[in-house]
Amino acid sequence: MKLFVSDGNPHCVKVLAVLELTGVKCDVQHVNHEERVVPYLSRPAVPALLLPSGTYLFSPNAICQYLMEVNGQGSSDLVNQWLEWEATELQPALTQALHMVVLQGKRAETTSVLQGPLSYLDQSLSKRSTLFLTAEMVSVVDVVLWATLYPILSDSSLVSGNQTELQRWFERVGVLSACESAAQTVLQGKGLKAESLKTYMQRQPAPHHGQGQGRGTQPCN
Amino acid sequence: MSLKELSSLEKALGLKKPNKYSTQGDKKVPVLQSVNGPALVGLVTIATHLVQEAKRPELLGGSAEHKAVVQQWLEYRVTKVDGCHNEDIKTILKDLNSYLEDKVYLAGNQFTLADTLMYYGIHHVIVDLAVQEKEKYMNMTRWFNHVQHYPGIRHHLPPVVVLRNRVYTSGHH
Repeated sequence: MKLFVSDGNPHCVKVLAVLELTGVKCDVQHVNHEERVVPYLSRPAVPALLLPSGTYLFSPNAICQYLMEVNGQGSSDLVNQWLEWEATELQPALTQALHMVVLQGKRAETTSVLQGPLSYLDQSLSKRSTLFLTAEMVSVVDVVLWATLYPILSDSSLVSGNQTELQRWFERVGVLSACESAAQTVLQGKGLKAESLKTYMQRQPAPHHGQGQGRGTQPCN
Repeated sequence: MSLKELSSLEKALGLKKPNKYSTQGDKKVPVLQSVNGPALVGLVTIATHLVQEAKRPELLGGSAEHKAVVQQWLEYRVTKVDGCHNEDIKTILKDLNSYLEDKVYLAGNQFTLADTLMYYGIHHVIVDLAVQEKEKYMNMTRWFNHVQHYPGIRHHLPPVVVLRNRVYTSGHH
């Protein structure tokens, strides 16, 4: 089994952190951003996981779920719901925010882009009865969301002072060695200031207008 | 749209009692209200829940690998296919076509929930494809045709005519 990652690609923080958390044995190979790892996709897709059968997984969340499953932790409705929310709501907003901060230097505007998903997460954290999002123990969901938010929330000037539950949870997850070392490997522990993040962002297509509002803004037909 | 899908899925799964759904937000994300627990939000989450309720776990994939492949294509459906931009749809068709080159269904030889939801989500694109385009994306069209004829799947959607024989028989020896 082989995991392909690239320097500066924030999606790789997620899979590397979950890999360490689950302790699954797997080779890690660093490739450049243009490398077309998955043969049937026309655009480069990293991270990607090559399974012993020859199958490729190209979705970071599916890779994380696979590592979990191999480690004997099945998904639940709650886990599925958070991962779907991350992919459909948080990720588009975050991609847009990263584009604005890293490439356009628009720091002030990112707050409004992220406002919706961040306050949703903060409210959900306030209402929960467990220490982490889905359980008393840290789970894949916490690590996935932490990794997605890491570049933005590790920059104190972009954090809203009102979202205290979110900040406390972010710090609690971030002290895990799995999270720390993944952030170190991919973004040299520098978050938004990582030069590799800028290089990565420059090679990505610009997010579509309104993508921050998520899916369904401009249907195909 | 997604509420129609969920109702078709319930019928396909043979669930006798239809559930009550609502939607939330501008994007009309489906919500399943539950009597004995918190509400479930999101198309993939609810669809996965329905499959478990119907005791059809094989539709979510048997092995860890198949489960992940099913999850991946379910996610692809709601992140890439839904709300995609015109310039992206060709890439989606091209990628699905080359992925399906050596497969009957998205998870290989076994029909899963990923096929059902991808079929529901991409139907409006396939309906409008010209004959030549259907031929260009032949593996994808073949998959689409298999799924639309899979027992109990089509429900709310009209059938799409797929030519079984190629119209332009070039390169035949």
